[in-house]
Amino acid sequence: MTVAPTTDVVDQSALAEAIHRLMRAQGVLFALDAPIRQSLPNLAAFFAVRYKLDPVAMSEVIEAALDADERFIREVLADEVRFVTSRQGGYVPRNEPDTHSFKQRLQDPDHPLPIDDISVVVSTSRPAITTVEPVFISDYWQVQAGLVSVRAEEDALAHELTTLSEPPVVVLVDVPLVVAPTPPLEAPVEAVPMVPTQVAPPVSFTPVHEPVVAPIPLAPPAEVVVPLVVQAAPEPPAPVVVPLPEPVVVTPPPRPMRPQVERGTIFTLADGTPIDLRRPMKELLAEHGATLAQALADKLEHDPLRRIVSFGRRYFPEANVINLGKNDLRKIRDYLLERGGPLLDTELIADVFYHNPRQSDYEGVRFSLNYRLHREKDFEFVGVEGALLWSTKGMPAIGGKRVKAAEMGQITSYLVEGLDDSLQNQSVETIREQGSVTRLLTFFEWEYGVLPLDATLTALLPGPVLPDQRSAVLRFDSPQHYTQALVEVRYPTGNRGGWLQGLEEFFHAHLIPGALITIARGQEPHSFTISYEEASETDDRILTFDEKKNKFAFANIAYFAAVDTDQLPSQSRFGRLNRLKAFPMGERRKAELILEHVIETMGEQVGTRAAPSYTLSFDDLFVGYNTLRPGSRALLQSLLTHGAEFAFDAAISEMVFYTPAPGSKAPAEDEATTEEPTEEPVTEVQPTRRRYGGRYSDDDE
Amino acid sequence: MDAKMVTFGETAMDKLLQWLRSSGEPKDIDELLRQYLELLSKLVMEESQ
Repeated sequence: MTVAPTTDVVDQSALAEAIHRLMRAQGVLFALDAPIRQSLPNLAAFFAVRYKLDPVAMSEVIEAALDADERFIREVLADEVRFVTSRQGGYVPRNEPDTHSFKQRLQDPDHPLPIDDISVVVSTSRPAITTVEPVFISDYWQVQAGLVSVRAEEDALAHELTTLSEPPVVVLVDVPLVVAPTPPLEAPVEAVPMVPTQVAPPVSFTPVHEPVVAPIPLAPPAEVVVPLVVQAAPEPPAPVVVPLPEPVVVTPPPRPMRPQVERGTIFTLADGTPIDLRRPMKELLAEHGATLAQALADKLEHDPLRRIVSFGRRYFPEANVINLGKNDLRKIRDYLLERGGPLLDTELIADVFYHNPRQSDYEGVRFSLNYRLHREKDFEFVGVEGALLWSTKGMPAIGGKRVKAAEMGQITSYLVEGLDDSLQNQSVETIREQGSVTRLLTFFEWEYGVLPLDATLTALLPGPVLPDQRSAVLRFDSPQHYTQALVEVRYPTGNRGGWLQGLEEFFHAHLIPGALITIARGQEPHSFTISYEEASETDDRILTFDEKKNKFAFANIAYFAAVDTDQLPSQSRFGRLNRLKAFPMGERRKAELILEHVIETMGEQVGTRAAPSYTLSFDDLFVGYNTLRPGSRALLQSLLTHGAEFAFDAAISEMVFYTPAPGSKAPAEDEATTEEPTEEPVTEVQPTRRRYGGRYSDDDE
Repeated sequence: MDAKMVTFGETAMDKLLQWLRSSGEPKDIDELLRQYLELLSKLVMEESQ
C-alpha cells in the first residue's frame, strides 16, 4: 500500500510555477495584461493525477502554494475559488480609461466639423432605399380611411363629452394619518355633516383603507374635504385615530344608451344614382354595370396621380408599365415598314422582342407595348377589340389617294345628320345576329372602292377601341376568289361621316355598279368576307369614268354577278349618265349643287327655253346622284323637300320637278347637246386594267 | 364605414391598386369594377357589423 505524499513533499514554488505555465498556455492568445482565470477544483483535479494526491488534499496544497505566490490573486465567486494571473506575471487591473475606442472617436471627434451648414451633418441627398417615415394622421382622416373604427372613435368622444357635462366632483384628499399629541381640535376645518363617530379602542396606527371615491355632485365650486383626524380623549396617552366615515358613494345616473347606429349601405353616384352595396353583385352589375364602369373609367382617367392607366378596356398600374426606349421604337417602326402593313401587337412582341406568351409577364408586356405606342406620334393604332393592330408613318395608304379624307368626311356627313335610312329593310339586331349585311353597289362606291359607313355597316363592323381612334384596318377575304384586301374603316368624327375604303381593286375586278354584295364577319375580330351572287356572263355597256379625260363614258363590260337592273348604270337604261359633269371632290360636297346638276342633266326638259323646267323619276335621280357622290334616299327627299325650286311628293307621284330660279344659270340641256356629239368612242380596254396600268397618278387629289 | 362617406372612384382606390398590382396582369374594366365593388361592399359591411 502506497502512502500518499503529504503537502510537505510538494514543492510549492515548483507547483506555483507549473500552474503559472499552465495558465499562460491557457491564455496564450490573451493580451499581456489580460486576466487569466482558473478555478481551484479544475487545478486540483489536474494536478491530483500528477502528484497522485487526493483532489481535496491537492486543493489545499495548491491553495497554499498560490497564496504564497504574488503572481496569483485569489478570488471567490459564487463559493468557488478562482486564481487570476496574467501572461506578464501578476494581474494588475487596468485603471486608465480607454479613449481610443470607435465609439469615443465617433461621438467626440478630435476635430469636429463646423455646423454652420446643416448639410454638413444632414445629407440632402436622397437615400438609396426610401424609408417610410411615420406620419401623424389625425383621427378624422383615420376614420375616413377606415383605419380606425368609427365606433371606438365615437365612444371615446362620447365619454369625453359625458365627462365634460357631469357636475364637478368633490375631491377627497387622502391626508396621511399623522397622529400627533396636539390639543384637540375645536372644530373641523369645514362644516361637513358628520356621522356620529364612535371612538375606537386605542390603537397606535390604524390603517385607513382607501375609500372608493365616487364623484359627488356639488353645485358650488369644489370643496376640499379633509378627512377627519380626531384625537381621542386626552385621558389615555395614546392617540386615537377615528376612522373616516364611510364615504358616500354616489352612483351617477346611468348614461343613456347610445342608440345603435344603423350604417348606411347606399351611396350615390355623381348623377344621383343610388347604389346599394347590400345587393348581390350580379344583380348590381346587371342593373348599373355600364354606368358604374363608365364612372370608374372617368375617375381613373382624371386621376391626377395616374396610378392606373388604360388601353381600351384594359387597366394596369402605371408603375408596372414597361418603358420602351428609342431603340425599341425604332425597331418596331422598321419592322412595320419591312412588313408593309399593319401588324398585331402579338406579332410585334414575338418578332421584335422575342417574348413568349408562356412567360408570366407576357400580358403586362403586351399592355405596355400598346400603351407606349399609343403615346408615340409615329405610330397609329388601327386595331379593333381583340385584334390590336399598329401602323406607322410611311406605310402605303390603304385605298389610294383618289379620295381625300377631309372631302369624304364631308360628303358622308349626311349619315350623322339623321339622313341615314339604311336600316329600313334590316334591323340592327338582325345584322348582329346574322353577322352579315347585304347592300347594292352604287357607281360612286364601285368607282372609288368606298362604302359609306351607314347604320348597317356600323352594326356589323367593330367600333373604335380608343376614344380618339380615327380608323381601323380590317381584312376582307373573298371566298369566291381566294383573295383578300385591306380595308380601312374611317370612323365618323363630329359632323363628318365615316366610310370604308380599299375595295376599289376588288370591285373593279369582279363587280359592276348595281351588284348585290354581302359583307359578313370572319373568323377573327378584324377579318370579314365579301361575296356576291354569281351569274352567267353578261355583256353590257356600263358607265365608266375616264379619269384622265375626267369624263364619264359607257364601255362594254362583261360581268358575272347578279345585278339589280334598276340600279345598273347601263347605257340602255340611263343613256344620259355620261353627260354628268365630273365635279372635283371639293364640289361634290355640295349636295344641292349635285342634285340640281343631276336633274338638269338626266331629266326631261318640260319647260320653255326661257323658263326651263325639268322632271325626272326619283329612282333615276337616286342612281344619277349616287354616280357623283353617295347619298341616301332620305337625303334626296330632304333636299327636295327643303329646296324651293323642287317639287316632289312621293304620295302623289314619283316624278321630281325642278324649276331653276330665273337667271340662275344656263340650262344644262345646251351643254348636253353640245357634248353629245363628242362622246368618246367605246374603248375595249377594261377599266380595271386601265386603272392599275398606271393611268392614275397621285396628283389626282 | 358609412356608405354615405363613399366617393365612387376615390374611396378604397389604394386597395384596388394594390389588388391590380398583385394580380400582375392587366384587367378588363368589368373585372376591375367587380373587384372595386367588392372592396367597397366589404368596407361598408364589415364596419356595419
